[in-house]
Amino acid sequence: SSQLSSVPLQMLFYINGIYYIFYFLASLALIIYKSQVFSYPDDFLAPDLASLLIMAGFEVLRLYLGSKGNLTEEQAPLGLSLVTTLGSVVFSVYFLVWQTHVLKADVILNAVLLCAYGLEAVLKVTAIAAFVS
Amino acid sequence: VARLCVCDLLVAECDANCCCDPDCTEADFSLFTTCSVPIVTGDSRLCSQKAAVYSLDVDANPPERIFELIDQVNPSVFCIHSTNYKQLLSFSSPEMPTPENFDQLLKQFGRAAFSAEPEPDSWNSNADVQNPSDANETYRYEHGAPVQTEDAFLRLPSPVVSSWCSDANPAGFLVNQATKCTRSVSVEKCGSIQAVSMLFYINSSILAKLHEFVFQVNITVQAVVVQSQDGMRTLLNDSDALRLPMILDDLCINIVLGVSYHITYTDAGEIIEAAASFVLGAINKEALSIQQSFEISFTQVNTQPVPLSGNPGYIVGLPIRAGFLPQGYPFPADMLLQHLACTDKHGQLTILQSTSSQDCLAAQGARAPVLFGYNMISGCTLRITAATKCQPLTQTLLDLLKGQNFPEYVASFGNSQAQDVLDWVPIIYLHTSEQVKSSCQIPVSLEIEVKWTKYGSLVNPQARILNVTATIATTTLQQLPSGRERTFPVTSSVVFTDISSPAEPGYKAWPTINAKLPFDFFFPFV
Repeated sequence: SSQLSSVPLQMLFYINGIYYIFYFLASLALIIYKSQVFSYPDDFLAPDLASLLIMAGFEVLRLYLGSKGNLTEEQAPLGLSLVTTLGSVVFSVYFLVWQTHVLKADVILNAVLLCAYGLEAVLKVTAIAAFVS
Repeated sequence: VARLCVCDLLVAECDANCCCDPDCTEADFSLFTTCSVPIVTGDSRLCSQKAAVYSLDVDANPPERIFELIDQVNPSVFCIHSTNYKQLLSFSSPEMPTPENFDQLLKQFGRAAFSAEPEPDSWNSNADVQNPSDANETYRYEHGAPVQTEDAFLRLPSPVVSSWCSDANPAGFLVNQATKCTRSVSVEKCGSIQAVSMLFYINSSILAKLHEFVFQVNITVQAVVVQSQDGMRTLLNDSDALRLPMILDDLCINIVLGVSYHITYTDAGEIIEAAASFVLGAINKEALSIQQSFEISFTQVNTQPVPLSGNPGYIVGLPIRAGFLPQGYPFPADMLLQHLACTDKHGQLTILQSTSSQDCLAAQGARAPVLFGYNMISGCTLRITAATKCQPLTQTLLDLLKGQNFPEYVASFGNSQAQDVLDWVPIIYLHTSEQVKSSCQIPVSLEIEVKWTKYGSLVNPQARILNVTATIATTTLQQLPSGRERTFPVTSSVVFTDISSPAEPGYKAWPTINAKLPFDFFFPFV
């Protein structure tokens, strides 16, 4: 077929967007809960909140670039999106392991997100390969 | 977790019903009825943790203790999976101070209270910003603060260790003081000793407000009294001229023997007037030292300088204020004389003062003021002969017991004003006599009973006089055969009785819900 854009990748982008909104709100709510229930000094709270906000920024950028690259069948935005995915993975691992308090809910949220990232990365590579050739 | 045991209190001995005690043997376990500590865990908020479970198997014979180490799982989704904040789950042991971290530890922990987070430095700078505005508030004088003059403090010389005068005693604001001390003088050094010259006491001007050199109050000379060699004092008419010590006929005159400062202040803590009254004297060649007396008193502006006996409740040791009621309102007799140097003793509640001679008729009217809270008893002996007549003796004894100006009303608070009629309590007189027969009855004792109560809040109760009863007891005077004498005692006493009822705690009323329907709630029907 002449269409090189990957449909599963686009679907994944769409689902990822919705899931990420849920993830952002849930993480924020969890941080608020932790600050009330546990001892959460300001020195530890600030990096966590900052990371969450920066991660949101990265996510928007990543999804936009990836979606654009997939739909216009160009590999440059898709490549940039892949690079940004690496950054998002780092943030997700931070929230999974290096956060101040890691609750079971945090583990579940971030694990799902990492799975989505992994799947996306694979699909992006195949799409880039399809566009290049 | 397996080694922790909360109920193991006795060392090297088995605690009863303590299943985790390592000192207990199998035989001890068989005697237990239950396990007081069934489970030992760490923080239960962790997702999975080890727990030591102790239980007694009562079915077996003999009962055995069962110990299990299990993994306890917290099913909640909010359980702590891991944490990077060490202090969350355990108490951190404090750092050992070393020369390197001592300063940082002192900054963090060197206060009366500290929190877990180190205090940021911005808080200290905020305190500095607030200080200048606070300092404005403290520019006024407070009770006890030294009265400042342009160069140092207003000095009230007083004896320090011995009775020699020391000039380094500052006068405290609102602290009325009177001191006496000795100063060494000689006629040769008449003009050079500063402390005996008037100038020394009035040359510096007093600052109206603390630390503010703008407004200064000069000390004016109010009155000058000259004391002659034999002790006679005369008030001089012109008090404007400054009299400095000088030599006249082998005497050094105009030596300051006493200074009495009188400071007028406002209720904002500012001094607006200062006056000094002097007593000047003279010394001759043989005099080596003189005794100087100093006094300072403070009056609020626009008020009369009436010495209060408490504000508002009476203070123990201060005289009871009393007065008369001429045609309408109580008129405290101690307001008659407004001269600042005098304290008027007439018109206070006084009782007979025992003298050394103990003879009533030779008592010369010595009376002692009744001080609040001090029970006093005094007396004298009266000698009667056959020739003493009844009526004059009765009158003499009554004068002796009650004094010249026995007041009719007593102030119920230490600061009762003359205008408040209801604040004054009348003195109630009771007469008790031995016999009803109308022979000669002479008063022999006066007992004043002052009933007072604690008034006001439980934390700061004020003494308030409720009732003053003066009881005069009389006895019959038996006619003596001629030539005989008889002595009998005459006593007067003051007793203070505390009749305060025990304090009742006041509870606030239960809050009520004040819900009212609007008046047209049932509009269509009503």
